[in-house]
Amino acid sequence: MAQSFREGFVEADGFRIRYMEAGEGPALVHLHGAGGLRLTPAHNLLARQFRVIAFEMPGFGKSAENTRTKSMPEMAATMAAAADKLGLDRFDLMGTSFGGKTALWLALQQPERVLAVVLEAPAAIRQKGARPSSGTPEERARQLYAHPERMPALPAPDPTVQAKQQALVRRLAGPDRDPELETQLRNLAAPTLVLFGTYDRLIAPEMGHFYKELIPNCHLVFVYDAGHAIGAERPEAFVEVVADFLERHEAFIISRTETVINP
Amino acid sequence: MKVSFFETGRYVSPRGTPREWPVPSGAYDPALGAKAYSAMIDRIRLVEELGFDWVSLSEHHYSPRILTPSPPLSAAWIAAQVKRIKIALLGPIVPQSNPVRLAEELGMLDTMAGGRLIVGLLRGTTNEYLTYDLNPKEARERADEGMELILKAWTEPQPFGWQGRYFQFRTVSVWPRPLQQPYPPTYALGISRESCELAARNHLGLGVSYGPFEVMAKSTRYYREQCAEHGWEPGPDHIIYRANMLLAETDEKAEAIFKKHSGMAPFPVRAGLRDALLEADKRNVAGEARPANVGGVLPTTFIGGPDTIVEQIKRCREEVGAGVLDLSLHPPGSTDVDALMSAIELFGKKVLPRIHEV
Repeated sequence: MAQSFREGFVEADGFRIRYMEAGEGPALVHLHGAGGLRLTPAHNLLARQFRVIAFEMPGFGKSAENTRTKSMPEMAATMAAAADKLGLDRFDLMGTSFGGKTALWLALQQPERVLAVVLEAPAAIRQKGARPSSGTPEERARQLYAHPERMPALPAPDPTVQAKQQALVRRLAGPDRDPELETQLRNLAAPTLVLFGTYDRLIAPEMGHFYKELIPNCHLVFVYDAGHAIGAERPEAFVEVVADFLERHEAFIISRTETVINP
Repeated sequence: MKVSFFETGRYVSPRGTPREWPVPSGAYDPALGAKAYSAMIDRIRLVEELGFDWVSLSEHHYSPRILTPSPPLSAAWIAAQVKRIKIALLGPIVPQSNPVRLAEELGMLDTMAGGRLIVGLLRGTTNEYLTYDLNPKEARERADEGMELILKAWTEPQPFGWQGRYFQFRTVSVWPRPLQQPYPPTYALGISRESCELAARNHLGLGVSYGPFEVMAKSTRYYREQCAEHGWEPGPDHIIYRANMLLAETDEKAEAIFKKHSGMAPFPVRAGLRDALLEADKRNVAGEARPANVGGVLPTTFIGGPDTIVEQIKRCREEVGAGVLDLSLHPPGSTDVDALMSAIELFGKKVLPRIHEV
């Protein structure tokens, strides 16, 4: 049964910020990728166990053009204020691709509030020449998915929305290797799970090990046969490991799978 | 052309040993088994001496014909006793193995063998799946996933989890890694579209087997096309062709031996079981549907005296593009070890010196 997400708005840091919310349980805040907020089957599955709040960062989607936010740490502070306004005292934080970097900055700024971090194909550390997805919906599907033929067609983009988002992403994305962030990651206290699809065509899955080397309590998981949009392409596999990690943190590596065939 | 000797740990079955697969293990004679393994070493010393480039090993179960259910054990047995020849595992049946265990064992083997290991990753023949209760319908996908996992286990520098369809590991960090870095020469074994694509995507070689040149050429052509799609070009060493060869002093003698043994299936499987397996396990050649070989006769590709064989090998090089020939030198279905030893000697003296340049 699909959870029904309802739309809400919150005033924070001078922005009117849209979010989608569903489910009950521990709060899980999600920050989207460079393409903007798009709910996937993974959001529905997560909402069975968590209170999922998927924010639309200011400047994305139908929100007004954001010319004010100058850097990723600023965007992170804005999103922390939005969570605060919703009364989220402590929460789990998930960031996708571009939003993975926002999530890392937020976790660094508010260590007492972020219980654990999940990074879905994060774009905080990128191979040389990496670019966000672009082009026609068909071209973008080929960049985002391991098996575009198995996925529903992506919506045609609104050129105005696209232009304003792209300008913002270019301004906030930062360099492929960001020494300021990487220095700070060594002090990130929150348990962190990094996931990459084995066929990610936008961010090389080989970037995963850098997070493990930098972040003290970091776990790396490859989701087999998924591309960049893991939660859209292999939602069950993605949510199973994410939920297990959020529940048990580093103890999630201990199997609880029962293998008795017949009692 | 490189030449590989396909070593089967030949167990010489007494007359009257049942043939149908699975062969009752009550018919096994431990003394004959011990002899089979020591003869294996004698043969490999001989082929090394004669100048064969590789010895190859396979994984087969529940039958005396090929007495090597565990390729890593076979390889360790050889690596410790024969010092120069390269050892090719063609190969572990991946869908019914633990891929992490394989990555570990192959790392051990390559290190113990001084970097002499060649790895072929195999989906496996259909009847073998019955050994460990593998659903034949899942074999293809399990094979693909397991192969990708083995390669990741050899290359990822940090402990990682694997969230697969068929395999799940929350923490993988393989020690030892292979001596050859990042990993030994590795082949996907198979003629299917999926094997060709997996090999091309991962810059692996391709190993094809037993079919006639024109059928094998369909696969190797598709493989090369796929490699081009992935921006690289395989060389001759990237293609192995495994085949049966019946070599004798003259064409006439070879034909006569072939006639005597032709039509013998190495692993006869009861009809009802065979039909059910064929139904469950769909196969293809570079995307064209074709039935699996379940308990059928394996063709003998090369038949003749030395001159004829050399010509056939040249054609194989041209048509299939194979740079490695992996040869079974037994008359198929025969258990005559003396004939095998003569065929090895004859090949080593009359054929091998003429084909390294092919």
